[in-house]
Amino acid sequence: MYCHICFKSMQEETTWKDLLTPKLFEYICTECEDQFERNSSPTCQKCMKRSEASICHDCKLWQQILTTDPLEQNISIYTYNDFMKDAIARFKYRGDYEIQMVWRKIILETFKKYFIHDKLTIMPIPLSEERHQERGFNQAEALATSITYEPDTKTLIRIDSGKQSKKSRYERMHSANPFQTTQPPPKHILLIDDIFTTGTTIRQCAQTLKQAGAQSIKSLTLIRS
Amino acid sequence: MNNPPPLIEELARRFTGKLLLKHELNVTQRLFDYLTKHHLIEPLPGINQTFHINTCLRCMNRKPHLFGKIPSNSTSPTIYCKNCIQMGRVSTREPLYIWKGPQPKRPVVDQPLQWHGELTPLQEKASDQMVEAIASQSQLLIYAVCGAGKTEMLYKGIAHAISQNKRVCIATPRADVVKELAPRLRRDFPAIDAAALYGGSTEKDFNAHLVIATTHQLLRYQHSFDVTIVDEVDAFPYHHDRSLPKVVKRATKPNSTLIFLTATPRLDMKLRIATKQIPTVSIPVRYHGHPLPIPTFKSIFRLQKQLEQLQIPQVITKWINEREQSQRRFLLFAPTITLAEELSKKLKIPYVHADSPDRNYLIQQFRARNIKALITTTILERGVTFPSIDVAIIQADHQVFDEAALIQIAGRAGRSAHDPTGDVTFFYELKSNAMVRARQYTINKNSEAERLK
Ligand SMILES: [Zn+2]
Ligand SMILES: [Zn+2]
Ligand SMILES: [Zn+2]
Repeated sequence: MYCHICFKSMQEETTWKDLLTPKLFEYICTECEDQFERNSSPTCQKCMKRSEASICHDCKLWQQILTTDPLEQNISIYTYNDFMKDAIARFKYRGDYEIQMVWRKIILETFKKYFIHDKLTIMPIPLSEERHQERGFNQAEALATSITYEPDTKTLIRIDSGKQSKKSRYERMHSANPFQTTQPPPKHILLIDDIFTTGTTIRQCAQTLKQAGAQSIKSLTLIRS
Repeated sequence: MNNPPPLIEELARRFTGKLLLKHELNVTQRLFDYLTKHHLIEPLPGINQTFHINTCLRCMNRKPHLFGKIPSNSTSPTIYCKNCIQMGRVSTREPLYIWKGPQPKRPVVDQPLQWHGELTPLQEKASDQMVEAIASQSQLLIYAVCGAGKTEMLYKGIAHAISQNKRVCIATPRADVVKELAPRLRRDFPAIDAAALYGGSTEKDFNAHLVIATTHQLLRYQHSFDVTIVDEVDAFPYHHDRSLPKVVKRATKPNSTLIFLTATPRLDMKLRIATKQIPTVSIPVRYHGHPLPIPTFKSIFRLQKQLEQLQIPQVITKWINEREQSQRRFLLFAPTITLAEELSKKLKIPYVHADSPDRNYLIQQFRARNIKALITTTILERGVTFPSIDVAIIQADHQVFDEAALIQIAGRAGRSAHDPTGDVTFFYELKSNAMVRARQYTINKNSEAERLK
């Protein structure tokens, strides 16, 4: 087996550590694995941003903007360090689809730990048709397939294709909602995305779904930046 | 024949001799549709699939684990190459485009070289052989010791080629070298178009007279150069990556000249020299005529153990103190990043490695003499030169220091004509074959030079 990040053969570099603690992922070598950083406490109870206060400033702000926050809870696995930035750039912008193999196991484990009893419908954040064409896949959908073979990709669609990363923080928190529903949504939904930054995208989805009749929305994201 | 319209001429300059992804063409969809409809550009499959073996037609990768698969609900999965994905994705759905329109013209420069320095007789000899190789479209290996002044040796050949309206490429493994070389070449060839290409550079090659590029940049070329100079042919990545020689060959025109440069040929190249499969010119002397510094061997009992316990042996501190007292600047090579870091803490000397964020800054500070010493991993082993320094290797018997690495490191000392001697010391525990061979190389080269006098 070869590491999906550094492409090194993994037989060659089995270390004592691997023998003592069985490898978590068979798609990633120990060296690369060690460079991803787990989200560590204290964090906001709601969105997992690093925060001393139990509810962070961002979440309070959203409460103000939206009156009621459509997002119940977000769980994130990793923080956004330089190593992760490079991995995500290769995944999303260069289009290395298979890099997500290294996160499948931990996504499933995290899902089981937090959400398994909730009877949730798994729903990846949609991409616009244009971007999907360009990239050849939706990264959120790729991550969602770690949990289920058939995530719900029908209910929610994205219309615009404005690049989030080019907007300022204020613009992102106040930008028009690009999401629409195409059919009545399921009652309880778990949104899946690669990265939770300001929470705008996730909350826009959540709001659209709630307005269309969904009852509760939670999210699972690979990274909390 | 009528001249093509200006837009087509410009596109010809941009696209000729290249293999580009659609987004690299950087044209509007409308223009793209026009170009394909009129067969001015043509797609080539990005991935060749024969008998279940995939080949990436950009980087020539054939290793199964370096291909990925993107599933699709409606069609067959897309196969893409992971090996060269940093340059944009090549896949079964993302072809490479080549220019099929009229060939662009390049202004002829009669006297491109404006350099009035003097060559040593040996440099002169290499220069003349290179000119001959260009005229006869053959190959040549220039086997020159570190500090032989290889750049100046190339000048005459490059000038000759350009005045014959030939397109020249210098490919080197490291971006640092491209950055160092480009301004010198621009200064000495002021009237030509030159493009310096490396990962992250913003320059564009619009059918330039001279392209100075990292070896990897050649992945974007096909039948483009009349003269290709491959610098440090023994160095990573040319040496390790079996597909790169193919890439270099593809970047050259069918009837063209290949010039290889090396100070430390690997076994395969040595065999080709010995069996006269490649014409070779040997330069065993530095441009300033002084012999290569011979490495001093200093064995240290239990060196590994002492370093593990974070003790720095006295012999080493003594060597450092001597430099500091006589105000000699020095480089200290360490086999691993971890050891470099530990030494740096202990000795209070800054350290650099391939990924250090302040690498360029520290190198520049060292060159500007604002820092008197630097600890480094093998990244400073080649290419980059500093005048008037001493070098020492801690654990010269470590496996990362093979013969070529040791010769290259020793070659960092005594580069300046004003200060042609420099101390080279190998600290070690158990003498390695590589160390012995590296010292023998120096002795051999010096006596070869002596015989030429
Ligand atoms: Zn790895
Ligand atoms: Zn929060
Ligand atoms: Zn490739």
